[in-house]
Amino acid sequence: MQKKIKRKTENYLKVFLGILSMGLAIYIASTVFYRAKIDLTDEGIYSLSKGSKALLSKLDSPIRLKLYYSKTAANKGTEGLRSFNNYFLYVHDILKEYVAHSRNNLALQIIDPRPDTEDEEEAEAYGLKRFHITETERYFFGLVAISESGSEKIIEFFDPNKRDGLEYEITKLIYSVLSPQKKKVGVLSPLPIVQDEISPYMAQIMQMQGREVSQSWPIINMLREFHEVKSLGRDIETISGIDTLLIIHPTGLSDQTLFAIDQFVLQGGKALVLVDPHAFTGTPQNAPPSPMGGMPLNVSPDEKFRKLMDKWGIAAMEGAFAGDKYLSAMGRLSAYDPPTRLLPLMVCNRRCTESFKDPMTRGLEQLTFFFPGALKAQSVDGITVESFLSTSDKGSTYEVYPHELADPRIFWNKMEDGKEAVLMGMKAFGKFKTAFPDGVLIEKKPVAGPTANKQIERKQTEKKTGILESSKDGVVVVIADVDFIAAQFAFKQSFLGLGPANDNSTLLLNALEALNGNVDLMSVRSKGHANRSFEAIEAIEFEADRKTEKKAMEINGNIVRFEQELAELSKQANQDNMALIQNESLKKKKALSRKIVGLKKELREVKRDGRERVEFIGKIFQYVNTLLMPLFVIIFGIWFLHFRKRKKTHETSTVDAEQMVEQSL
Amino acid sequence: MLSPQFKALYKKEFQSFFKTPLGYVFLVIFLFGLGYMTFEPGRGSFFLLREASLRAFFEYVPWMFIFLVPAVSMKLWADERKRGTVELLFSMPVTVKVAVLAKFFAAWTFVGLALSLTFPMIITVLILGRPDMKIIFLGHISSMFLAGAMLSVGGFFSAMTKNQVVSFILSVATCFILLMADSPPVLELVGTFAPKYFLNIFESLSLQGHFESMGKGVIRLSDLCYYAIMISFWTFSSIVLLNENKSE
Repeated sequence: MQKKIKRKTENYLKVFLGILSMGLAIYIASTVFYRAKIDLTDEGIYSLSKGSKALLSKLDSPIRLKLYYSKTAANKGTEGLRSFNNYFLYVHDILKEYVAHSRNNLALQIIDPRPDTEDEEEAEAYGLKRFHITETERYFFGLVAISESGSEKIIEFFDPNKRDGLEYEITKLIYSVLSPQKKKVGVLSPLPIVQDEISPYMAQIMQMQGREVSQSWPIINMLREFHEVKSLGRDIETISGIDTLLIIHPTGLSDQTLFAIDQFVLQGGKALVLVDPHAFTGTPQNAPPSPMGGMPLNVSPDEKFRKLMDKWGIAAMEGAFAGDKYLSAMGRLSAYDPPTRLLPLMVCNRRCTESFKDPMTRGLEQLTFFFPGALKAQSVDGITVESFLSTSDKGSTYEVYPHELADPRIFWNKMEDGKEAVLMGMKAFGKFKTAFPDGVLIEKKPVAGPTANKQIERKQTEKKTGILESSKDGVVVVIADVDFIAAQFAFKQSFLGLGPANDNSTLLLNALEALNGNVDLMSVRSKGHANRSFEAIEAIEFEADRKTEKKAMEINGNIVRFEQELAELSKQANQDNMALIQNESLKKKKALSRKIVGLKKELREVKRDGRERVEFIGKIFQYVNTLLMPLFVIIFGIWFLHFRKRKKTHETSTVDAEQMVEQSL
Repeated sequence: MLSPQFKALYKKEFQSFFKTPLGYVFLVIFLFGLGYMTFEPGRGSFFLLREASLRAFFEYVPWMFIFLVPAVSMKLWADERKRGTVELLFSMPVTVKVAVLAKFFAAWTFVGLALSLTFPMIITVLILGRPDMKIIFLGHISSMFLAGAMLSVGGFFSAMTKNQVVSFILSVATCFILLMADSPPVLELVGTFAPKYFLNIFESLSLQGHFESMGKGVIRLSDLCYYAIMISFWTFSSIVLLNENKSE
């Protein structure tokens, strides 16, 4: 008995020791082998892109990374806050990847700042965003990078909604803490895009003084994070001292400026040009109306600039707007109008970029354009032209007249689906030739001429000549839209401040960085996310939207027609036929009401039909996945058990029969 | 090469799941339950997520396994021991190791069959969108490893007791603790009495953490080691336990 108890105790001890050694073995394996992995995700979300690795390989001095995450506070918070734990784990995973590729130059420290501790004070001092959870608990989720020289850069808060841009944010942080020299970008535009940098304090003082504070477009402030931005205005004699030239909406530029641009490109300069058949954002408020009625089209490039573009091998198709019904987005004309699908509002996804595999657009999923134009390549000796952005294969072009601008809904019926993609982004590289082979006559500034007691202003012209052909390769990138960098199409206001609403700003930054040759950071940004939406369901909803659109337009058309008829009738009204007219209009009103009620019913049915089809598909899939296989198992089980039983009975009866035969014999 | 004894025992054990209605009941409950949870019109419903992935599906796999797998494993040894057939089994030219492995793999195949019968889910996402098939594939591999780990735990408790119900309860409880080992409330509870290094070891034992890690589409050597250690340890413990019982 005693032996048995001893043996049992030994067994329990064995099990306990076994569990302990298993735990230890797992812990060691988890720690040692953590970095050994294969990332099979399509987007490689758990791996660093080449750009990040290249940047890390260039590190030659240590950088400390301090990840502040209030884990304890998050666990005490709401369910929404606890869900940040998952994102923290992802951020932690990615940071561990950075450390693993840094050749021991990066050191990561995880800090859970508790209330009233030095850690919390430090987090606040670094400028990390804090959120009050309770009276004492404060929530931090940010990163601090500190270089050997003591320079600090922070990511003030990790927003889970910006998960796709996480790697870019971290690489940017490391890139900026290393303080590499910023590239100089010169902005040349007739639009008031770049303004002097004013500190918030100065802006406040100016506002108090009643002075107007004009600010740069948000995209310029974003550019300033990476580049030194220099405004070149709209009239310039020569372009020098910059690395890249950004020309926005080139229209009405002087010969002198055009010549300066021409010569800049010929000297191997790099230019990014944004043209637009109608720059909605830059339309002056007090522009004279078009002779055809409505606001005029705000077109770029003008004829003079086209001559420059001809030499680059890229032409903006005159009067042609790029359209694609399958990329059109929903928009409201006013706060009171229901959202409708607008052809000029184009949201480009993978279909616009994936066939080109260009680093500038690779991975960009959501690019919003408004009234984009169409580009085409022209054959120019020694110049290579490539595209990087287009509509889908069903895209086409359409024309726009000024009077139509007031109601962008009408363009929907103006365009039929096309058979090939319309190009909206192109780049040209090679040895360019000048657009001014004979030079250019430049009007010099009036100078005061001394005459007897009188000063007469004399105009002087000067012929300027330059190089005729570039000796080294230049690059020009052209995008056929200006509005995509405007605040209303590229940015959105959130509780964290103004941030990118889509990939628009990324496209501009990508293009500039491609031109600047900063490939490391560029390839990080290009890392995208795949579209995993229910495309089949979206197609049904899109079709229902199209039908709804048609019905809604029919109803609105009827109402407009009725109003016109009523107006006509009331014009005919006089003392004698007043009663008759009133009676007539009442009849018409009733008839129209009946018609509208009928159409509204149809509209409801179309909407309901679309919704019901989606719901029906959902139900079918639910039943298939919930009931089909269990039913199959039940039927198979019944058949199999019954079959076995019959087989058994048959075997037993055969044995019985054989025994009976044997007995009878 | 697999020995003929292993093959014969594996075949007998696998067929035994279909000889009684119990195996079908398990399958039906698992398939219906998983399908219902995935499409449940509440938080995280597959159809409401509008995402061509099996995220909503794999989220519930551990919670269905926590009942299905112990239910499958409870009869592996407890039943044999209760009926006394275990002595008969070991009187044959079969080693304990071969018997344990044969039964384990037969049960694993059965759970694999249950999982493979959820293939309409894959067809569904393929019809609706463009899923990342590699993630789906890894999700299934990860689920199989999870099932393997749970089965080895269940097999151990089945070998430990003659009572199937006790074996089931102990397995469910252990699997639950292992599943929740890295969840904040459990860590907080353990943290109240255990030192920090023990907490780290305890956290690394989490089934859920390793299951999710692989299900994200990343194969980590640490995850593979985890499953290998878990399955080997519990299976080896079962062999030791049965050897002890055999020699009694």
